[in-house]
Amino acid sequence: MKNRQYGKKNWAFAGGIIPVNSTGEEPEYVSKDVLSILNTSPTEATVNITFYYTDSDPVGVYEIKVQPQRIRMFNINDLIDPQAVPLGVPYGGVLESDVPVVVQLTRQHTGQEALALMGISVYQADGAN
Amino acid sequence: MAKIWENWSGSVKFEPERIEKPASEEEVAQFIQQAIAQQKQPRIVGAGHSSVPLVETQHILISQEKLKGIVGHDSDTCRVDILPGTSIAEAGEGLIKLDLSMHNTGDVDMQSVGGAFGTGTHGSGLKLQNLSGMMVGCRLVDGSGETRSFTMEEHPDTMRAAKVSLGALGFFTQLSIQAEPARQYVRREFCAHVDESMEHLQHLITDNRMFDMYWYPRNDMTKLRICNQVGEGMQDISFGERTKNDEGWLYEVLPQFRDLKYEEMEYAIPLEAGPECFAEVRKRIKAKHRHYVGWRVLYRTIAADDAYLSPFYGRDSVTIALLQNSELEYQKYFDDMEPIFRDFGGRPHWGKKHSLQAKQLQALYPKWDAFLKVRKQLDPDGLFLNGYLKKILGI
Repeated sequence: MKNRQYGKKNWAFAGGIIPVNSTGEEPEYVSKDVLSILNTSPTEATVNITFYYTDSDPVGVYEIKVQPQRIRMFNINDLIDPQAVPLGVPYGGVLESDVPVVVQLTRQHTGQEALALMGISVYQADGAN
Repeated sequence: MAKIWENWSGSVKFEPERIEKPASEEEVAQFIQQAIAQQKQPRIVGAGHSSVPLVETQHILISQEKLKGIVGHDSDTCRVDILPGTSIAEAGEGLIKLDLSMHNTGDVDMQSVGGAFGTGTHGSGLKLQNLSGMMVGCRLVDGSGETRSFTMEEHPDTMRAAKVSLGALGFFTQLSIQAEPARQYVRREFCAHVDESMEHLQHLITDNRMFDMYWYPRNDMTKLRICNQVGEGMQDISFGERTKNDEGWLYEVLPQFRDLKYEEMEYAIPLEAGPECFAEVRKRIKAKHRHYVGWRVLYRTIAADDAYLSPFYGRDSVTIALLQNSELEYQKYFDDMEPIFRDFGGRPHWGKKHSLQAKQLQALYPKWDAFLKVRKQLDPDGLFLNGYLKKILGI
Protein backbone atom coordinates (compact mmCIF):
# COMPACT_ATOMS: atom_id res chain seq x y z
CA MET A 1 0.00 0.00 0.00
CA LYS A 2 2.76 2.41 1.00
CA ASN A 3 4.54 2.08 -2.34
CA ARG A 4 1.43 2.22 -4.51
CA GLN A 5 0.99 5.24 -6.73
CA TYR A 6 -2.52 6.32 -7.61
CA GLY A 7 -3.69 8.60 -10.34
CA LYS A 8 -2.49 9.87 -13.67
CA LYS A 9 0.03 12.40 -14.91
CA ASN A 10 -2.33 14.42 -17.12
CA TRP A 11 -5.68 15.90 -16.17
CA ALA A 12 -8.11 18.38 -17.66
CA PHE A 13 -11.34 20.16 -16.78
CA ALA A 14 -13.61 22.38 -18.83
CA GLY A 15 -16.15 23.88 -16.44
CA GLY A 16 -14.18 26.43 -14.46
CA ILE A 17 -15.75 29.76 -13.49
CA ILE A 18 -14.96 31.56 -10.25
CA PRO A 19 -18.04 33.43 -9.03
CA VAL A 20 -17.54 37.18 -8.79
CA ASN A 21 -19.71 37.85 -5.75
CA SER A 22 -19.23 36.58 -2.22
CA THR A 23 -21.08 36.92 1.07
CA GLY A 24 -19.84 36.25 4.57
CA GLU A 25 -16.47 36.43 6.26
CA GLU A 26 -13.35 35.97 4.17
CA PRO A 27 -11.31 33.97 3.52
CA GLU A 28 -13.64 31.19 4.71
CA TYR A 29 -16.69 32.22 2.69
CA VAL A 30 -15.18 33.80 -0.38
CA SER A 31 -16.50 32.33 -3.61
CA LYS A 32 -13.78 30.22 -5.15
CA ASP A 33 -12.65 27.35 -7.33
CA VAL A 34 -10.39 25.02 -5.36
CA LEU A 35 -7.98 22.56 -6.90
CA SER A 36 -7.02 19.60 -4.74
CA ILE A 37 -4.08 17.44 -5.73
CA LEU A 38 -3.24 14.12 -4.10
CA ASN A 39 0.29 12.85 -4.52
CA THR A 40 0.63 9.27 -3.23
CA SER A 41 4.04 8.80 -4.81
CA PRO A 42 7.32 8.86 -2.85
CA THR A 43 8.63 11.84 -4.84
CA GLU A 44 7.57 15.46 -5.00
CA ALA A 45 5.15 16.25 -7.80
CA THR A 46 5.65 19.25 -10.04
CA VAL A 47 2.33 20.09 -11.62
CA ASN A 48 2.21 22.56 -14.50
CA ILE A 49 -1.20 24.11 -15.08
CA THR A 50 -2.39 25.94 -18.19
CA PHE A 51 -5.75 27.73 -18.29
CA TYR A 52 -7.84 28.10 -21.43
CA TYR A 53 -10.50 30.74 -22.12
CA THR A 54 -13.34 31.33 -24.57
CA ASP A 55 -11.87 34.33 -26.37
CA SER A 56 -8.25 34.75 -25.39
CA ASP A 57 -5.02 32.80 -25.57
CA PRO A 58 -4.10 30.15 -23.00
CA VAL A 59 -2.19 31.35 -19.95
CA GLY A 60 0.45 29.34 -18.18
CA VAL A 61 2.25 27.66 -16.82
CA TYR A 62 1.35 27.90 -13.19
CA GLU A 63 3.78 25.63 -11.37
CA ILE A 64 2.52 23.87 -8.26
CA LYS A 65 4.63 21.60 -6.07
CA VAL A 66 3.04 18.80 -4.04
CA GLN A 67 5.15 17.05 -1.46
CA PRO A 68 5.44 13.23 -1.55
CA GLN A 69 2.48 11.42 0.00
CA ARG A 70 0.64 14.66 0.69
CA ILE A 71 -2.32 16.58 -0.63
CA ARG A 72 -2.31 20.23 -1.58
CA MET A 73 -5.45 22.36 -1.84
CA PHE A 74 -5.36 25.90 -3.19
CA ASN A 75 -7.75 28.52 -4.47
CA ILE A 76 -7.41 29.22 -8.17
CA ASN A 77 -8.49 32.77 -7.21
CA ASP A 78 -5.18 33.27 -5.44
CA LEU A 79 -2.86 32.35 -8.30
CA ILE A 80 -1.02 35.36 -9.72
CA ASP A 81 2.03 33.91 -11.44
CA PRO A 82 2.08 34.33 -14.40
CA GLN A 83 -1.31 36.08 -14.18
CA ALA A 84 -4.31 36.38 -11.91
CA VAL A 85 -7.20 34.23 -13.14
CA PRO A 86 -10.20 36.48 -13.87
CA LEU A 87 -13.36 36.00 -11.82
CA GLY A 88 -16.69 35.45 -13.55
CA VAL A 89 -15.04 34.21 -16.73
CA PRO A 90 -15.45 30.63 -18.03
CA TYR A 91 -12.21 28.73 -18.24
CA GLY A 92 -10.78 25.26 -18.49
CA GLY A 93 -7.54 23.84 -17.24
CA VAL A 94 -4.93 21.26 -18.18
CA LEU A 95 -2.68 19.83 -15.47
CA GLU A 96 0.54 18.04 -16.37
CA SER A 97 2.41 16.33 -13.55
CA ASP A 98 5.74 14.55 -13.52
CA VAL A 99 4.38 11.82 -11.25
CA PRO A 100 0.90 10.28 -11.03
CA VAL A 101 -1.52 12.40 -9.02
CA VAL A 102 -5.26 12.55 -8.35
CA VAL A 103 -6.98 15.86 -9.04
CA GLN A 104 -10.30 17.24 -7.88
CA LEU A 105 -11.93 20.61 -8.57
CA THR A 106 -14.42 22.07 -6.12
CA ARG A 107 -16.43 25.27 -6.30
CA GLN A 108 -17.70 27.33 -3.40
CA HIS A 109 -20.32 29.88 -4.43
CA THR A 110 -21.39 32.25 -1.68
CA GLY A 111 -22.98 34.88 -3.88
CA GLN A 112 -26.15 34.20 -1.92
CA GLU A 113 -26.27 33.58 1.79
CA ALA A 114 -27.57 30.06 1.20
CA LEU A 115 -24.19 28.46 0.66
CA ALA A 116 -23.83 26.11 -2.29
CA LEU A 117 -20.96 23.70 -2.85
CA MET A 118 -20.38 21.72 -5.98
CA GLY A 119 -17.76 19.15 -6.85
CA ILE A 120 -16.57 18.88 -10.42
CA SER A 121 -14.98 15.85 -12.01
CA VAL A 122 -11.62 16.29 -13.67
CA TYR A 123 -10.91 14.25 -16.78
CA GLN A 124 -7.98 11.85 -16.71
CA ALA A 125 -6.18 12.82 -19.86
CA ASP A 126 -3.30 10.33 -19.93
CA GLY A 127 -2.83 8.77 -23.31
CA ALA A 128 -4.62 11.49 -25.25
CA ASN A 129 -2.75 12.81 -28.27
CA MET B 1 22.76 51.30 -34.35
CA ALA B 2 19.28 52.11 -33.09
CA LYS B 3 17.34 49.58 -31.13
CA ILE B 4 14.22 49.58 -29.04
CA TRP B 5 14.82 50.20 -25.36
CA GLU B 6 12.31 48.67 -22.97
CA ASN B 7 11.92 49.06 -19.23
CA TRP B 8 11.75 46.15 -16.80
CA SER B 9 7.98 45.73 -16.92
CA GLY B 10 7.65 46.35 -20.66
CA SER B 11 5.30 49.35 -20.42
CA VAL B 12 7.89 51.98 -21.45
CA LYS B 13 9.44 51.56 -24.91
CA PHE B 14 11.23 53.94 -27.20
CA GLU B 15 13.93 53.99 -29.85
CA PRO B 16 16.94 56.19 -29.10
CA GLU B 17 19.41 56.97 -31.87
CA ARG B 18 22.06 55.28 -29.79
CA ILE B 19 22.79 53.89 -26.37
CA GLU B 20 26.13 54.78 -24.81
CA LYS B 21 27.74 53.03 -21.88
CA PRO B 22 30.52 55.18 -20.43
CA ALA B 23 32.92 53.47 -18.08
CA SER B 24 34.34 56.57 -16.42
CA GLU B 25 33.43 60.08 -15.38
CA GLU B 26 35.57 61.42 -18.22
CA GLU B 27 33.60 59.40 -20.75
CA VAL B 28 30.32 60.64 -19.28
CA ALA B 29 31.52 64.23 -19.69
CA GLN B 30 32.60 63.51 -23.27
CA PHE B 31 29.16 62.09 -24.18
CA ILE B 32 27.39 65.05 -22.58
CA GLN B 33 29.67 67.51 -24.39
CA GLN B 34 29.06 65.68 -27.66
CA ALA B 35 25.33 65.88 -27.06
CA ILE B 36 25.59 69.63 -26.49
CA ALA B 37 27.67 70.11 -29.63
CA GLN B 38 25.33 67.97 -31.73
CA GLN B 39 22.18 69.48 -30.17
CA LYS B 40 21.07 66.05 -29.09
CA GLN B 41 19.19 65.23 -25.94
CA PRO B 42 20.86 62.82 -23.52
CA ARG B 43 18.87 60.92 -20.96
CA ILE B 44 20.23 58.73 -18.22
CA VAL B 45 19.18 55.18 -17.48
CA GLY B 46 19.98 52.92 -14.54
CA ALA B 47 18.44 49.47 -14.22
CA GLY B 48 15.28 50.47 -16.09
CA HIS B 49 12.99 49.49 -13.24
CA SER B 50 10.91 52.67 -13.32
CA SER B 51 7.64 52.46 -15.18
CA VAL B 52 7.27 56.08 -16.27
CA PRO B 53 9.21 57.59 -19.20
CA LEU B 54 11.78 59.49 -17.15
CA VAL B 55 14.58 58.06 -19.28
CA GLU B 56 12.95 58.44 -22.68
CA THR B 57 14.86 60.18 -25.44
CA GLN B 58 14.92 59.98 -29.21
CA HIS B 59 18.63 60.80 -29.19
CA ILE B 60 21.27 59.51 -26.77
CA LEU B 61 20.47 57.19 -23.91
CA ILE B 62 23.43 57.06 -21.54
CA SER B 63 23.51 53.99 -19.35
CA GLN B 64 25.03 53.80 -15.89
CA GLU B 65 25.68 50.09 -16.24
CA LYS B 66 29.48 50.28 -16.49
CA LEU B 67 29.73 52.72 -13.59
CA LYS B 68 29.64 50.19 -10.81
CA GLY B 69 31.37 49.61 -7.51
CA ILE B 70 32.55 51.20 -4.32
CA VAL B 71 35.45 53.54 -5.00
CA GLY B 72 36.28 54.94 -1.58
CA HIS B 73 35.34 54.90 2.07
CA ASP B 74 36.14 56.41 5.43
CA SER B 75 35.88 53.83 8.17
CA ASP B 76 35.73 56.49 10.90
CA THR B 77 32.67 58.24 9.50
CA CYS B 78 31.17 55.23 7.67
CA ARG B 79 30.95 57.36 4.55
CA VAL B 80 31.30 55.54 1.24
CA ASP B 81 31.77 56.69 -2.33
CA ILE B 82 29.83 54.55 -4.75
CA LEU B 83 29.22 54.65 -8.49
CA PRO B 84 25.65 55.26 -9.65
CA GLY B 85 25.18 52.09 -11.71
CA THR B 86 25.85 49.85 -8.74
CA SER B 87 22.70 47.88 -7.99
CA ILE B 88 21.23 47.88 -4.51
CA ALA B 89 22.21 44.21 -4.25
CA GLU B 90 25.78 44.92 -5.36
CA ALA B 91 25.98 47.83 -2.94
CA GLY B 92 25.01 45.52 -0.09
CA GLU B 93 27.62 42.97 -1.13
CA GLY B 94 30.29 45.65 -1.41
CA LEU B 95 29.45 47.37 1.84
CA ILE B 96 29.57 44.19 3.88
CA LYS B 97 33.23 43.76 2.88
CA LEU B 98 33.79 47.03 4.74
CA ASP B 99 31.64 45.84 7.68
CA LEU B 100 29.05 48.39 6.60
CA SER B 101 25.44 48.38 5.50
CA MET B 102 22.77 50.62 4.08
CA HIS B 103 20.14 51.60 6.63
CA ASN B 104 17.39 50.05 4.55
CA THR B 105 16.54 48.72 1.11
CA GLY B 106 13.41 48.54 -0.96
CA ASP B 107 11.30 45.47 -1.49
CA VAL B 108 13.48 44.51 -4.45
CA ASP B 109 17.18 45.16 -5.00
CA MET B 110 17.59 45.22 -8.76
CA GLN B 111 17.53 49.04 -9.09
CA SER B 112 20.70 51.02 -9.56
CA VAL B 113 21.70 53.22 -6.64
CA GLY B 114 21.49 56.30 -8.86
CA GLY B 115 18.02 55.45 -10.12
CA ALA B 116 16.73 54.46 -6.71
CA PHE B 117 17.95 57.66 -5.10
CA GLY B 118 16.75 59.81 -7.95
CA THR B 119 13.16 58.60 -7.81
CA GLY B 120 12.77 58.59 -4.01
CA THR B 121 12.74 54.81 -3.76
CA HIS B 122 12.35 53.57 -0.21
CA GLY B 123 11.98 50.64 2.13
CA SER B 124 9.81 50.58 5.21
CA GLY B 125 10.37 51.74 8.78
CA LEU B 126 8.84 54.44 10.91
CA LYS B 127 12.20 55.98 11.71
CA LEU B 128 13.96 55.17 8.44
CA GLN B 129 14.20 57.66 5.60
CA ASN B 130 14.09 56.74 1.95
CA LEU B 131 17.29 55.53 0.27
CA SER B 132 18.34 59.00 -0.86
CA GLY B 133 18.44 59.96 2.82
CA MET B 134 21.88 58.32 2.85
CA MET B 135 23.24 60.71 0.24
CA VAL B 136 25.72 63.21 1.69
CA GLY B 137 27.61 64.18 -1.43
CA CYS B 138 27.80 63.69 -5.16
CA ARG B 139 29.68 64.35 -8.34
CA LEU B 140 27.75 65.06 -11.52
CA VAL B 141 28.16 66.26 -15.06
CA ASP B 142 25.80 69.20 -15.47
CA GLY B 143 23.96 70.58 -18.47
CA SER B 144 27.01 72.47 -19.70
CA GLY B 145 29.17 69.35 -19.63
CA GLU B 146 31.06 70.47 -16.56
CA THR B 147 31.85 68.05 -13.76
CA ARG B 148 30.73 69.38 -10.38
CA SER B 149 31.12 68.20 -6.82
CA PHE B 150 28.73 68.86 -3.92
CA THR B 151 28.49 67.92 -0.26
CA MET B 152 25.71 68.30 2.25
CA GLU B 153 27.97 70.34 4.52
CA GLU B 154 29.02 72.84 1.86
CA HIS B 155 26.05 72.85 -0.50
CA PRO B 156 22.93 71.94 1.49
CA ASP B 157 20.54 73.63 -0.93
CA THR B 158 21.91 71.84 -3.99
CA MET B 159 22.10 68.54 -2.13
CA ARG B 160 18.47 68.74 -1.01
CA ALA B 161 17.54 69.20 -4.64
CA ALA B 162 19.94 66.51 -5.85
CA LYS B 163 18.80 63.69 -3.56
CA VAL B 164 15.55 63.11 -5.44
CA SER B 165 16.10 64.79 -8.76
CA LEU B 166 14.70 62.50 -11.49
CA GLY B 167 17.87 62.80 -13.55
CA ALA B 168 16.94 66.42 -14.22
CA LEU B 169 20.06 68.07 -12.77
CA GLY B 170 22.74 66.16 -14.65
CA PHE B 171 24.44 62.78 -14.82
CA PHE B 172 25.60 61.56 -11.41
CA THR B 173 29.04 60.05 -11.70
CA GLN B 174 29.58 59.33 -8.03
CA LEU B 175 27.46 59.30 -4.89
CA SER B 176 28.71 59.66 -1.32
CA ILE B 177 26.52 57.87 1.14
CA GLN B 178 26.31 57.69 4.89
CA ALA B 179 26.40 53.97 5.63
CA GLU B 180 26.19 52.38 9.08
CA PRO B 181 28.02 49.54 10.83
CA ALA B 182 26.74 46.18 9.61
CA ARG B 183 24.50 44.25 12.01
CA GLN B 184 22.80 40.90 11.89
CA TYR B 185 19.06 41.09 11.24
CA VAL B 186 16.14 38.72 11.64
CA ARG B 187 13.35 38.86 9.14
CA ARG B 188 10.11 37.15 10.06
CA GLU B 189 6.91 36.79 8.07
CA PHE B 190 3.44 35.94 9.30
CA CYS B 191 0.02 35.36 7.76
CA ALA B 192 -2.96 36.95 9.49
CA HIS B 193 -6.44 38.20 8.70
CA VAL B 194 -6.53 41.84 7.64
CA ASP B 195 -8.88 42.84 10.46
CA GLU B 196 -6.47 41.58 13.11
CA SER B 197 -3.51 43.10 11.31
CA MET B 198 -5.18 46.50 11.23
CA GLU B 199 -6.20 46.18 14.88
CA HIS B 200 -2.55 45.71 15.83
CA LEU B 201 -1.12 48.00 13.17
CA GLN B 202 0.21 50.69 15.48
CA HIS B 203 2.23 48.21 17.53
CA LEU B 204 3.52 46.48 14.44
CA ILE B 205 4.80 49.82 13.14
CA THR B 206 6.27 51.19 16.36
CA ASP B 207 7.69 47.99 17.87
CA ASN B 208 9.69 46.92 14.83
CA ARG B 209 12.55 48.61 13.02
CA MET B 210 11.02 47.62 9.71
CA PHE B 211 7.47 46.51 9.13
CA ASP B 212 5.38 46.17 6.03
CA MET B 213 2.14 44.49 5.14
CA TYR B 214 0.79 42.88 2.00
CA TRP B 215 -2.99 42.68 1.74
CA TYR B 216 -4.45 40.12 -0.66
CA PRO B 217 -7.70 41.46 -2.11
CA ARG B 218 -9.14 38.08 -3.07
CA ASN B 219 -9.09 36.55 0.40
CA ASP B 220 -8.65 39.41 2.90
CA MET B 221 -5.51 37.86 4.33
CA THR B 222 -2.29 39.74 4.96
CA LYS B 223 1.38 38.91 5.01
CA LEU B 224 3.14 40.78 7.82
CA ARG B 225 6.88 41.22 7.42
CA ILE B 226 9.04 42.45 10.28
CA CYS B 227 12.79 42.94 10.27
CA ASN B 228 14.88 43.84 13.31
CA GLN B 229 18.41 43.67 14.56
CA VAL B 230 18.93 40.37 16.37
CA GLY B 231 17.37 40.49 19.82
CA GLU B 232 15.26 43.56 19.09
CA GLY B 233 11.65 44.10 18.05
CA MET B 234 8.78 41.63 18.12
CA GLN B 235 9.89 38.04 18.48
CA ASP B 236 6.47 36.68 17.56
CA ILE B 237 3.04 37.83 16.44
CA SER B 238 0.41 36.05 18.50
CA PHE B 239 -2.43 36.38 16.01
CA GLY B 240 -0.40 35.34 12.96
CA GLU B 241 0.98 32.12 11.56
CA ARG B 242 4.74 32.34 11.07
CA THR B 243 5.86 31.46 7.56
CA LYS B 244 9.45 32.67 7.47
CA ASN B 245 12.37 33.27 9.83
CA ASP B 246 15.60 34.35 8.14
CA GLU B 247 18.72 35.70 9.81
CA GLY B 248 21.62 37.44 8.11
CA TRP B 249 22.97 40.76 6.90
CA LEU B 250 20.34 43.29 5.96
CA TYR B 251 20.99 43.08 2.23
CA GLU B 252 20.60 39.30 2.44
CA VAL B 253 17.32 39.10 4.33
CA LEU B 254 15.39 42.22 3.33
CA PRO B 255 14.90 42.39 -0.46
CA GLN B 256 12.87 39.72 -2.19
CA PHE B 257 13.72 38.12 -5.51
CA ARG B 258 10.92 38.79 -7.95
CA ASP B 259 10.98 38.08 -11.66
CA LEU B 260 7.23 38.25 -12.15
CA LYS B 261 6.58 41.43 -14.09
CA TYR B 262 4.12 43.92 -12.68
CA GLU B 263 2.91 47.48 -12.96
CA GLU B 264 2.61 49.57 -9.86
CA MET B 265 1.07 52.76 -8.53
CA GLU B 266 2.22 54.00 -5.16
CA TYR B 267 1.31 57.08 -3.17
CA ALA B 268 2.78 58.48 0.03
CA ILE B 269 0.19 59.90 2.38
CA PRO B 270 0.52 61.40 5.86
CA LEU B 271 1.26 58.71 8.44
CA GLU B 272 -1.85 59.36 10.48
CA ALA B 273 -4.11 59.02 7.42
CA GLY B 274 -2.77 55.57 6.55
CA PRO B 275 -5.41 53.34 8.12
CA GLU B 276 -8.35 55.37 6.81
CA CYS B 277 -6.87 55.55 3.32
CA PHE B 278 -6.15 51.83 3.34
CA ALA B 279 -9.77 51.13 4.41
CA GLU B 280 -10.99 53.11 1.40
CA VAL B 281 -8.58 51.32 -0.91
CA ARG B 282 -9.67 47.93 0.39
CA LYS B 283 -13.35 48.76 0.05
CA ARG B 284 -12.96 50.05 -3.51
CA ILE B 285 -10.88 47.13 -4.72
CA LYS B 286 -13.31 44.58 -3.31
CA ALA B 287 -16.27 46.43 -4.79
CA LYS B 288 -14.90 47.20 -8.24
CA HIS B 289 -11.63 45.56 -9.15
CA ARG B 290 -10.91 42.19 -7.70
CA HIS B 291 -12.54 40.32 -10.57
CA TYR B 292 -9.41 41.16 -12.56
CA VAL B 293 -6.94 42.14 -9.83
CA GLY B 294 -5.51 39.26 -7.86
CA TRP B 295 -2.27 40.75 -6.70
CA ARG B 296 -1.54 42.50 -3.50
CA VAL B 297 -1.51 45.93 -1.96
CA LEU B 298 1.64 46.93 -0.07
CA TYR B 299 1.49 49.12 3.07
CA ARG B 300 4.73 50.68 4.35
CA THR B 301 5.90 53.54 6.55
CA ILE B 302 8.73 56.03 5.89
CA ALA B 303 10.30 58.76 7.99
CA ALA B 304 10.13 62.41 6.97
CA ASP B 305 13.10 64.00 5.20
CA ASP B 306 14.13 67.34 3.74
CA ALA B 307 14.82 66.52 0.09
CA TYR B 308 12.86 69.02 -1.99
CA LEU B 309 11.14 66.50 -4.25
CA SER B 310 11.03 63.60 -1.84
CA PRO B 311 7.48 62.25 -1.48
CA PHE B 312 8.30 62.22 2.24
CA TYR B 313 9.35 65.85 2.44
CA GLY B 314 8.39 67.24 5.82
CA ARG B 315 6.09 64.44 6.88
CA ASP B 316 6.26 60.93 8.25
CA SER B 317 4.36 58.88 5.74
CA VAL B 318 2.55 55.71 4.86
CA THR B 319 2.92 54.42 1.33
CA ILE B 320 0.22 52.30 -0.26
CA ALA B 321 1.16 50.50 -3.46
CA LEU B 322 -1.15 48.78 -5.93
CA LEU B 323 0.41 45.94 -7.91
CA GLN B 324 -0.99 44.36 -11.02
CA ASN B 325 0.38 41.75 -13.43
CA SER B 326 1.98 43.71 -16.26
CA GLU B 327 0.11 41.70 -18.89
CA LEU B 328 -3.30 42.46 -17.39
CA GLU B 329 -5.39 45.63 -17.39
CA TYR B 330 -3.81 48.13 -15.03
CA GLN B 331 -4.70 51.59 -16.35
CA LYS B 332 -8.39 51.28 -15.51
CA TYR B 333 -7.48 50.04 -12.02
CA PHE B 334 -4.97 52.79 -11.31
CA ASP B 335 -7.16 55.54 -12.79
CA ASP B 336 -10.03 54.58 -10.54
CA MET B 337 -7.91 54.26 -7.39
CA GLU B 338 -5.77 57.37 -7.78
CA PRO B 339 -8.45 59.84 -6.56
CA ILE B 340 -8.55 58.03 -3.22
CA PHE B 341 -4.87 58.72 -2.70
CA ARG B 342 -5.33 62.29 -3.88
CA ASP B 343 -8.12 62.83 -1.35
CA PHE B 344 -5.64 62.02 1.42
CA GLY B 345 -3.00 64.45 0.15
CA GLY B 346 -1.01 61.70 -1.53
CA ARG B 347 2.26 62.28 -3.36
CA PRO B 348 3.02 59.73 -6.10
CA HIS B 349 6.18 57.67 -6.33
CA TRP B 350 8.21 59.34 -9.07
CA GLY B 351 9.18 56.06 -10.72
CA LYS B 352 5.77 54.38 -10.72
CA LYS B 353 2.53 54.98 -12.60
CA HIS B 354 0.60 58.16 -11.85
CA SER B 355 -1.27 60.76 -13.85
CA LEU B 356 -0.26 63.98 -12.12
CA GLN B 357 1.16 66.94 -13.98
CA ALA B 358 3.13 69.96 -12.88
CA LYS B 359 0.30 72.05 -11.46
CA GLN B 360 -0.95 69.23 -9.26
CA LEU B 361 2.54 68.20 -8.20
CA GLN B 362 3.62 71.73 -7.38
CA ALA B 363 0.78 72.01 -4.89
CA LEU B 364 2.10 68.94 -3.06
CA TYR B 365 5.69 70.09 -2.68
CA PRO B 366 6.49 73.14 -0.51
CA LYS B 367 10.01 73.36 -1.93
CA TRP B 368 8.99 72.98 -5.57
CA ASP B 369 10.36 76.36 -6.61
CA ALA B 370 13.61 75.75 -4.72
CA PHE B 371 14.13 72.55 -6.71
CA LEU B 372 13.42 74.31 -10.01
CA LYS B 373 15.90 77.03 -9.11
CA VAL B 374 18.71 74.50 -8.55
CA ARG B 375 17.73 72.68 -11.73
CA LYS B 376 18.03 75.89 -13.70
CA GLN B 377 21.43 76.62 -12.20
CA LEU B 378 22.78 73.20 -13.19
CA ASP B 379 21.02 72.81 -16.52
CA PRO B 380 19.97 76.27 -17.74
CA ASP B 381 19.35 75.13 -21.30
CA GLY B 382 17.26 72.13 -20.30
CA LEU B 383 19.62 69.62 -21.89
CA PHE B 384 18.33 66.80 -19.66
CA LEU B 385 14.62 67.68 -19.93
CA ASN B 386 12.66 65.25 -22.05
CA GLY B 387 9.00 65.75 -22.82
CA TYR B 388 7.88 63.83 -19.77
CA LEU B 389 10.05 65.84 -17.39
CA LYS B 390 8.85 69.09 -18.96
CA LYS B 391 5.30 67.97 -18.39
CA ILE B 392 5.67 67.00 -14.75
CA LEU B 393 7.97 69.89 -13.87
CA GLY B 394 5.96 72.49 -15.78
CA ILE B 395 8.89 73.77 -17.84
